[in-house]
This record gives sequence, structure tokens and C-alpha cells, in this order.
Amino acid sequence: MANILDIAEKTYAYLNEKEGLKADFTISETETNEITVKDGKFTLFRTLFDNDVSIKVIKDHKKGIASINKCSEEQIKKAVDDAIASAESGDADDCFDIAPGLEPEKFKMGVLEPDIDKLMERTQELSNTIAEKHKKIRLIEMFAKYVKGHYVYMNTGGTKDDCDFGYYLIMLEFAGTDGENTTGVASTGVIFDSLDKELITLGNIEKELTDAENSLNPIKVSEKFEGDIILTPGCVSQMVSYLCYNAVLDPAIINKTSVWLDKVGEQVASPMFTLSSKPYDERIILGERHTIDGFRSEDYTLIDKGVLKCFATSLYAANKCGVNRAANSSQDLIIEAGDTSFEDMIKGVKKGLIVGSVSCGMPGANGELAGVAKNSFYVEDGEIKGAVIETMISANLFEMFKNIKAISKEQVCDGGSVIPYIEMSGITISGGTE
Amino acid sequence: MLEDILTGKKSLFETGMQSVLRGQESRLRRIVIQNGNLVTNVRSEESGICARVYLNGAYGFASTAEYTAEAAAKTIAAATKNARYLDKFNTEKKNPYPILEQKTIVSPRMIIDFEQKRLVDLCKEIDAHIEKTYPDLLSRVVAYREDTMEKIIVTSDAADGHVAYPRTTLYVTLNMTSKDGQPVEVSDAVGGFGHIEDNYSDLAKIYEKIAALYKDLCAKAEGVYASAGVKTVILHPDVAGMIAHEAIGHTVEADLVQGGSVAGPNLNKKVASELISITDFASTAFGDKAPLPVYIDDEGTEARDAVLIENGILKGFMHDRESADFYGVRPCGNSRGYAFSDEPLIRMRNTCVHPGKDKLEDMIASVDDGYYLINTGNGQADLTGEFMFGITMGYEIKNGKLGKAILDTTVSGVAFDMLNTVDMVSDTVTWNTSGTCGKKQAMPVSMGGPAIKCKIMIGGR
Repeated sequence: MANILDIAEKTYAYLNEKEGLKADFTISETETNEITVKDGKFTLFRTLFDNDVSIKVIKDHKKGIASINKCSEEQIKKAVDDAIASAESGDADDCFDIAPGLEPEKFKMGVLEPDIDKLMERTQELSNTIAEKHKKIRLIEMFAKYVKGHYVYMNTGGTKDDCDFGYYLIMLEFAGTDGENTTGVASTGVIFDSLDKELITLGNIEKELTDAENSLNPIKVSEKFEGDIILTPGCVSQMVSYLCYNAVLDPAIINKTSVWLDKVGEQVASPMFTLSSKPYDERIILGERHTIDGFRSEDYTLIDKGVLKCFATSLYAANKCGVNRAANSSQDLIIEAGDTSFEDMIKGVKKGLIVGSVSCGMPGANGELAGVAKNSFYVEDGEIKGAVIETMISANLFEMFKNIKAISKEQVCDGGSVIPYIEMSGITISGGTE
Repeated sequence: MLEDILTGKKSLFETGMQSVLRGQESRLRRIVIQNGNLVTNVRSEESGICARVYLNGAYGFASTAEYTAEAAAKTIAAATKNARYLDKFNTEKKNPYPILEQKTIVSPRMIIDFEQKRLVDLCKEIDAHIEKTYPDLLSRVVAYREDTMEKIIVTSDAADGHVAYPRTTLYVTLNMTSKDGQPVEVSDAVGGFGHIEDNYSDLAKIYEKIAALYKDLCAKAEGVYASAGVKTVILHPDVAGMIAHEAIGHTVEADLVQGGSVAGPNLNKKVASELISITDFASTAFGDKAPLPVYIDDEGTEARDAVLIENGILKGFMHDRESADFYGVRPCGNSRGYAFSDEPLIRMRNTCVHPGKDKLEDMIASVDDGYYLINTGNGQADLTGEFMFGITMGYEIKNGKLGKAILDTTVSGVAFDMLNTVDMVSDTVTWNTSGTCGKKQAMPVSMGGPAIKCKIMIGGR
């Protein structure tokens, strides 16, 4: 493997030969070992060696980026020259910038000494457990991997982050089946750093397998009504990503399409809702250590008790629009738990759905959302009546987060986020009505 | 152009192990101008080598980011080692696959690269035109994406190939404030196989499309919510193409059939109106070059058309060598990987509903109360055939005439049920070449079809 520290120093020196540049770059190498399981059998074992070099330059207030997957000195110099040529082809914009230099730091994250044989053992164990305890599950595909890597991030301000990282990941794709009927495909995955526990106990794997088994013989909702929905953590994550894209991330702010453009400091969601990005939370396996602009990442809260505290914007958007720069890149999301158990949430639903995911397009800037409720269950008078098929939900994304009725005590941690169940009211639910 | 340093490494394939060595270079050029601000200006290149080795029913695979003869030898050795490692766990040994025709296939053209400045200038010119022509927009985005691949495929017992897949796409997004003070948005994409000179030498054609897009946006700004329920609709060819890909195509990929897809028990049965035929085309379609032609897949199978539905009857699935062997059919070259480090999966190529005999005007005139659904943002489907598409542009149809535009909504249904309701099919096929399928790995695909009239469930208020 290449000595990327040495390569990084040479790249830094080459950049410094150029006059009037601001630049940053990341050089990384990774090794991945991955096993695929189909129908309970190991079918593919992959070993992948990869490199990645990404260089950003700002010259005369013009920005260019080049990336390659080679680490030779000659090729990296060419990539630097390509990035400069890209910058020269663009327009000057005073808002392009990078962070000032930080003290050099070394990081070690996750598990750096893997046990591949143990990973194989745990994967086989999971496959066997599913076959024994979840007989109505067809495990379409499952893969387990260990990824080990090393990256160096430097900028012309003097920052040098040197990070070794490693993690395990398990991903399952499955459906419920009784031989005649099949449910829709469900999937779940977890990033983890220890093989001490059975894999079925991680994340929401066991619950999602059970839900798929219970989704055979679905019922059709034959009417259109306004009801409550309980979003599972996976579905909450989906809706929060839509919310962020349309309201607080760079494109929505730069394009001025965010309906929250003048709402910082105001109530935009239920007082029960607190959304943070916390890369240093111990439940996050590979938390971000510097932002894409080169600032040291810090934990921050985006929405506190329903009040919008800031935008999730980069340095460029902050400079361009006169707004805040977010303290990290908003990838390590944590939603505070509530005080209602998931079981009690269900008991409180008069008529509605538990929604595992929504099959829909990305809502537009106005937040109008309509989609098919997938991996979902019909609830009436506090009881789950059965899985549903051909059932759509319609609502406004921004109204949904205002109309939160309860947030669960339980949170699901998948190694990259920590999310509870959330109950919302005022959702239009419709079956196959003509 | 990739130099062939791989063919000479065939001698390193171990006897009795079906092996494929693939060298690949992928290029990405990406430019985004938001409201006149050049916010993305990226050139990305990656190349490497992978090897896949089949032994007794399981695969060993390895890849490296180097493209050298030495790296090729190491990659074959690593994949072979992985195949042997996995064989220790294999209690049900399988036979080798049938040997395929061994020949060399070369695609008719390779990739031409252009300076970034020329690409940026093109986007800036289009952006300046939009700014000047449509001053009442809330915002605008012009984005350019060029994703090209070049592959050298060397096999132990199938065809070898050297092929290239150049593709460029230009995206335009326009945003306006609606009558209710809410932002509404429309988007369109222009481009296809080839490079900048193939697709954007005549800007007048692009400006015509932008003018049509602006007209739709103005209508959408005055738009109304669709009424939820099962409705009679005319699906524009872009939406019909999405159905061919998402709702039918994925359910007839043999790996998903083996996973329990609804298509499995329906082979050779009537699954759609007899007006419906769907084919996954390889390198030609309806007598012309296919929009994104594929000549050989990443297992060394020469690409042929895969007939999926013929006159309403489900005729076949899409295969790789493994599933073709399982079902006892000949593979059609659907097995492809996206990055050099990706193992090949069963993927669609140019999936299209065949044209019918009806005129679009007659189809619209035949609807008393329904919708004409023009544009779709994305789509998803699952093993049950249940699908959904986001609808980003559409119009009401009242008494046979187009009415008000509708706001963003979603349509859904069960594929075979919906296709059985088709009673009119237009006579003109339109292709969408900007698709990127997301089945585990990304993959450039095209999809197309005529307009079709059917019943579908629409979301709304």
C-alpha cells in the first residue's frame, strides 16, 4: 500500500509551488473485504483495494475540483493541474473560500484490527438464526463487510488531519413469503465496531424481519380519510432528509426556495422535536472530524424544541447568503427521544398507519408529498389490524413536523444516526377509491 | 483510450475456474450553475482492474485501483484465492456454466474528452439565455453531467471486448412562485449517447425545450391539487418509459425473480393488455441505434435483445450466466458493473414499450375526466409489482380537453393490474436517455415508450 502521508506532503509542496492558491485535498486508501450471502449460502467473497485523491483549489476567487483514484506523484500533480485548469475556466466569486489552518491532529476511529473469520462466523450465525426463527423470511441477499482505511486531509492554511478508521457493516435485503404470497422488499443495515453481539440484535434488524413476516396477506384500505401515522425510525430518517434538502441545505438557501428562509429563531416544528448533528456522540461510529470546508467539526443543534436555530449551510452558502455556517456537514443526525413508548403510541391511534417507508419522489420546495406507504400497517382503535397494500399518504412535509403528536422513548441506532418513532396527525390516507 | 494490457494475462486464469478480467476507466464531468453562480465544477477520473473467478457455485472477486500488467496478475491471483477460500464453505458444488461463443467485440466509437472550459462556457451560455429570456423566475439551475465508461473485458470461456459508453446530460430546473406564494418547480433533461458536440451543437433546439418547460412552469404556478383516487390517465412517453423500467423491468430481472418477484409464476401467461409489448434492447431498437447501445456485457456475453412482454404475454426474463443456467436459457448480455470495483449484476439497458396505432390527440379526446401525466421525477417498484412514480408535471383532462395544470403528486399501482387496463397506445416512441438505475450500484440506462391510456391510482388532496 502507498505511504499516503509522504504523498500528501509532496502534494502540499506542489500546491505551494503555485502562486496565489488556496487549496485543500484528501488522499485516502481503503481495503474492503465483503461476503455476500444468498439463500443461506456464501456466494461471493470480494477484496477491494482503492485509493481516492480529491483536490479543491481556489485561484483568483475561482474554484475547481479534480479527483482521481491513483496515488503516484505524477498523477497527483496532473490532478492538481486539472483542478487549477477547472478553476480558471469558471467565474470569480468572492464567496469561495476554505477554512483557516487548524492544529495538525491524528484520529483513530472504529475498529482497526478486524477479525474476518469472526465476521464470517457472525454472518453465518445471522443467516442460520433467520432461517430458524423467521421461517417466513426470504433472505434475498445479505452482505457483510469490513472496511479499513487511512486518509490525510490537508489545506494550504496548514491543517493536517491524519485518520485511521475501520468499521463493519451488515446489510440485509429480504421479503416475507409463505410459499404462495410475497411481500415487498425490505432492507435494513447497521454500521458497527464490535463482533461481541449477535448481529440480529443490532439496529432494527429483528423488528424489521418480524414486520416483514407480519406483512403477508395485506389488507386494502378502501376509503380516503384523514388520520395519524407513526413513522418508523427508517421512515423518519427519510422524511428528515427531505426536510433538510428543501429547507436548510445549500441549494434551498442559495436558490432562495426554502420556505424557512426567514424563520431562524422561529417555531417551525412541534416543541417535541429536537434535531441535532453530533459527530462526537459515542453512538456514531465514524463521526465527521472536519467539514468539507476544513473547519473542525463540532456538534450542533439545527432545530431545538421546534425552533429553527440555524441553517445546515456550507462556508460558500454562508458567505453568499449572509447566513450561518453549520458547525458540521449534518450527516450524523440525532433526534431526541420523547416520553411515549412505541406501544402506547399505537394504543393512542384512532385510525391511521404505522409507516415503514414512503415510496415517493423528492417533494418540491413547497413540501407537498404524496407516496405509497410501504412496509406499513393499518391501525384502528389502538390495534394493528394488518399490513396494507396499495395505500397512499398525502401531506405537506412542513406541516407534518408541526403536527407531531408523540415521539417514542425508544431510539434506533444504526451506527450513523439515532432516531426514534414519531407520530404525526392530519395525514390524508387513501386506498383504491375511484 | 485504455491500452489493452489484459488480453495477455489470460494465461494466468486457472484451469477449471471460469474467469473474467475487466479493466475500466470511468470519467465524470459535473458542472452546476445555480442562479448564475458556478457552484460545482468537477472533473473526476478513476480506473482499475477487477477479476472474478467462478468455482463450484460461488465467486471470488478482487479489484485494485491500479491499471498495470502487474496489478492485473495480482488481481487474478487475489480473486482466485478468494474463490478457493469460499469453496471451503460450499457444501453443494455446482457445475461450470455452458461455454459461450468466443469472439472479440469492439464498439464502433470510443470516448472524446473536452476541456472543462468548453463545458463551463456551454452551461454559462444557456444560463445567460434563461436569465435574459425569463426574468420572472424565482430561481434557475443549469447542470451538466458527463458519465463515461470504457471497458476491456477478457474471459476464459466467453467473448472478449473493448467497449465505450459516452453519455452527456444537461439538466435545466426552473422555479417560480405560485399563485399561493409557494415555490413550484419543473425540470427537464437533454442529451444522450455521445459527447458535447453530438448533443449540444444546436442550442436553438435546447432553447425550444426550455421555452416549453417555462410554459409548463407558468401553468403549474396556477396549478391545482390532483384529486386522490383511481383515475383514467394518459401517460406521456417519459412516464410510460419509467413504467417499462421500474414497474416491469425490475420484476423480470432474473435475480429478483429468484428472490420471489411476482413475475416468476407468470411466465408465458397474460400479464397485460394485448396492446402491450416490452423489450430490453441491446444495441439497436426499431431499426435504429439504441439510445445507449450495449454490445457485450461484463461476463463476456454478446448483447442481444431481451423480449420481456409480447402482445400482453410475459415471454422472458433478463439474465446473467448464473440465472440463465438456472432457467436453461441463453443469456442476453444484461450483466454489468458500474465502477471497476463492482461485480456485475443483472441490469437493464434500453427498456421500451413498443408503439401502438393511436394518435395522442385521439387518446386525450377519449377521456372525460382524468389526467395527462407528462413528467416524472423518479420511480420505484418492488417484488410485488407495486410501483410509484413522482409526477412533476401534468394536466387535468376534462371532457376530452386539457385543463388546468396539477401540482406535484405521485401515482401508484400494481404493474400487471395497471397494464391490463391499457386500451390505447400512441404511435410514436420517445426515449429518455438520462436515466440512472440505482439497483445496488448506479448504472446508466435508457427507457422509452409511446403514450398509453390506462387506469392508475393518483395521490392528492
